[in-house]
Amino acid sequence: MSEQSFYRQAGSYLDSIDVVEVQRGPEPGGLGGAYRAFGETLRGLKTTMSRLIEGPLTIQYPEEKTPVYPRFRGRHKLHRFEDTGLEKCVGCSLCAAACPADCIRVVAAENIPGERVSSGERYAAVYEINLSRCIFCGYCEIACPFDAITMGHDYEMADYDRTDLIFTKEMLLAEPIERTPLKSEGEDVKGAL
Amino acid sequence: MSHEKREVTVTIDGREVTAIEGEMLHDAARKGDVEIPVFCYEPKLGAPVGACRMCLVEIEGIPKLQTSCSTPVRDGMVVHTRTDQVKKAQNAVVEFLLVNHPLDCPVCDKGGECPLQDITQGWGPGKSRVIDEKRHFEKPIELSPLVAIDRERCILCYRCVRFSQEVSEDAQLQLLERGDRTYVGTFDDRPYVSPFHGNITDLCPVGALTNYTYRFRARPWDIEQAGSVCTLCPSQCNVSFTVRDEKVKRVLARENPGVDDGWICDRGRYGFEMFAAAERVTEPRTKGGTKVSYEDAIARAAAGLAARDGKVAAIVGDASNEEGFLVQGIVRGALHSPHLDSRPAAGPGIDAILDLARPELQATVTDIDDADVILVLGTDPLQSSPILDLRIRKAIRRSGARLAVATERPTALDGGAEAIARYAPGQASYFIGALTAAVASGAENVATPLAESLRDAGKIVIVWGERLGASATNELLGLARALDVDGPKTGLSDGFSAHQQVGLLEVPEVANARGLREAGVLPDAGPGLAALAVNGYGTEAIREALIDRSLDGLILVGVDPLRDFADTSRWEEAINAASFVVCFSTFATATAAKADVLFPLETHAEKDGTVTHPDGRLQRVRPAAGRPGDIRPGWQTLANLSLALGHDTGVTSQPTAFAALTAAVPFYASITESNIGGRGIRWQETESGASVPDAGIASADARSRRVSGESTPASGTSTAAPGAATDSPDTQRDSASAEAVAAPGAPELTLGTYRDLWAGPITELNPPLKFLKPSQRLELSPEDAERLELAPGDPVRVSQGDKSIDATVTVHERIPAGVCFLAEGIAGANANALLNGHQVNVQIEKRSEVPA
Repeated sequence: MSEQSFYRQAGSYLDSIDVVEVQRGPEPGGLGGAYRAFGETLRGLKTTMSRLIEGPLTIQYPEEKTPVYPRFRGRHKLHRFEDTGLEKCVGCSLCAAACPADCIRVVAAENIPGERVSSGERYAAVYEINLSRCIFCGYCEIACPFDAITMGHDYEMADYDRTDLIFTKEMLLAEPIERTPLKSEGEDVKGAL
Repeated sequence: MSHEKREVTVTIDGREVTAIEGEMLHDAARKGDVEIPVFCYEPKLGAPVGACRMCLVEIEGIPKLQTSCSTPVRDGMVVHTRTDQVKKAQNAVVEFLLVNHPLDCPVCDKGGECPLQDITQGWGPGKSRVIDEKRHFEKPIELSPLVAIDRERCILCYRCVRFSQEVSEDAQLQLLERGDRTYVGTFDDRPYVSPFHGNITDLCPVGALTNYTYRFRARPWDIEQAGSVCTLCPSQCNVSFTVRDEKVKRVLARENPGVDDGWICDRGRYGFEMFAAAERVTEPRTKGGTKVSYEDAIARAAAGLAARDGKVAAIVGDASNEEGFLVQGIVRGALHSPHLDSRPAAGPGIDAILDLARPELQATVTDIDDADVILVLGTDPLQSSPILDLRIRKAIRRSGARLAVATERPTALDGGAEAIARYAPGQASYFIGALTAAVASGAENVATPLAESLRDAGKIVIVWGERLGASATNELLGLARALDVDGPKTGLSDGFSAHQQVGLLEVPEVANARGLREAGVLPDAGPGLAALAVNGYGTEAIREALIDRSLDGLILVGVDPLRDFADTSRWEEAINAASFVVCFSTFATATAAKADVLFPLETHAEKDGTVTHPDGRLQRVRPAAGRPGDIRPGWQTLANLSLALGHDTGVTSQPTAFAALTAAVPFYASITESNIGGRGIRWQETESGASVPDAGIASADARSRRVSGESTPASGTSTAAPGAATDSPDTQRDSASAEAVAAPGAPELTLGTYRDLWAGPITELNPPLKFLKPSQRLELSPEDAERLELAPGDPVRVSQGDKSIDATVTVHERIPAGVCFLAEGIAGANANALLNGHQVNVQIEKRSEVPA
């Protein structure tokens, strides 16, 4: 039984259950068949040909780096207040709570007057991110009530030892090495991440 | 007392809910699964105050919204909790509470487990209109060295104030100032000092009151809660350990109405940091402190004990039922020695213990709640079992119980007592004898006022201390018989009502005293309090036998005789005389240093095992934190030691140890780890509870003779060792001698001692509690102070024979003349050094120099 006849027969029933009719391509055979066989293939080949003319596009990584978009989520950064130099992080652990990969560990401590580390009563005595577990979802950045943690642009984090991928507070606070070029406004760079 | 409660039906949000008449609407709603938000309402704190206005509901027939926490249900009441009017009110209340709340949730320790956060999320408007400056207080401030107060966060719910006023009754917390300047504080900003004040941090619905010991330690999502039982005192309160990274970070109360009513004392709450003290024994050691492997230590201990040829004794203190059972297995089964005990001093014989274990004579903790009269005899619950102190206060305050106190030393409960009697140290048995006579025959003596308060009482609960000693415990049974109409009492002439019933609740000296006795750690009874063919030596007899070399080896499990037992110098002599000492200790104590083989013990945060509450409730201590160092479970070490001595217990795990225990104790037979559950189970209430052995007829006979006034020699421990001291006083004194112990002008005072709540490792090894470390104080009556020309604060030397300790004088009005008191277990000035098992008289001389 062809589909049409099926619909015709089931029509009264199907009308009552509100079926959306499927939009289908041309039937095989005839002009439609020919278009299917060649038209789409040619359309694809057009892209291939244009790239062929363009020549090879190989980025000479690591000498040459792909710029990333401004909202690219790379390695985390911890921030300080520019005026006071105090850490923005108060060790509230909300990032750890939000983290779906459970890769953040925070141990807080109390600020001692005179040796203030953060602006609040508490500060993060230990702040570690296990980057081998991190999935770079950026939830920590969203959870942070003090904008103390943001996702940076660095994606070059390969290392020889798993333990070296546990980034401590000092590493995260350190001025990140800007190894990754950032895509400027409106720029459309080929191969951008 | 009768509590007839009628059931009523109320309709809450269209649901028919059956409630008990007089119950508050909030509680009724909870039964119908309708949640009404509250901040201030907490039934444990007594009458509701309706302070926070969060629980407003609409009741049909009443035009204005009512607070559901303080409105009792009425039959046919129709209540709505989700109407627009209620929602508007709830939004307004939340907004109002947040007007001055700093919203520093990321910094606040309560963040994540905060009722204010939850209720704002659930019932709040979701938006703030506040643009004005919030009120400011200095923060954080020390409310006490253990609790920080942040007054900006306070929402003035009164919970902490009510706790202080109505539960711990110390009346130190107050709300000061008025209006938006109101704040919680103490008079003159003095620190809040109370042994229960940590509970206010549990009660606080916001982050205003937080523990310094938990300050910024963890977040609710960083931690795990692990339920267990605190075994720092016989109250055995249910606790919940907050564990992060395998370490205890906080201790919370875990409500069990049958045990603790949801409170814990500061000892249990803040004592956890000593688990990680540097003095903790974390691996087996040999003499001199050399660390050895478990295998090596067990081999050495087994060889050493086996070589003593059965001349070995054991004393058990802080141990679980299973550990106690395994120790008695080692001593009796492997070493063929009958000598073991679990009591710091000579206790009553097995007949009296069996009498005391009779289920019908046993008062439970909840019996205190609806008792008509509570008699506190020979113990100060605040020092020995703090949570009972709160329980007794609750019974007096809430259900009008009357309190009678008969002790040597003034107690914390004296203020609420209807009758108070003081007897001289060592005279407890005579006093109880007099009380029994006054009760039974209306005799006129020192105890008559106390007997009067017991008259016409329906339900009497006697809270008595193990410190009373052997002969007084026997007298106590006579008293119970005289009071209990069901007992073999005849000739009762005067007005005790026919439905009178009496229950006894013991306050033992060690936390798991009852469990250890029932596991067979007694010189004259085996597991299940079964009679033995050969009776062994009790604690004091063991000491004497060690000194005269009739015993040679000693096993000490969780005891520190050099601190905790009377006559410390003689104990030192005894331990030095023992040629082989195996010690199980949590901390490196003076006793542990003398051990030939030292094994570490687990704390109650690490242990897996069962303990038995003084009212017969078996509870499970569950491992919450990781064991530091190389510590192995106690049952494992003991089972391996037993095996090395050729006695296979078949114990290979904690469940098999428990099974071995229940198989050996007939009245534990139907108890399983699953029916213990989280709340514990009283063995008296199980099927097998009836199989507790009966006491000997002869002893009951002897006691009933004593009730009728005849005096018989006190029966101490059943076996007296050569030179062993019993606690029966040397000379028979007049039973009415309470005030005439030492005649005025005599050079000596009778010494009484007490166990201070804060004496011992709890304050010495625990940094947060160090400030509570007690110093030795000599408590004198004003008369004696005047006679001896001593003023409060004077340094004195208290001496008995050639032994002396230094103390500072305090004068206490409620101490009778002729008596003085010193605390036991205080490092450097331990009153136990002066004791010798008899009544002790001491000389007091003033020292010129001020103690360092």
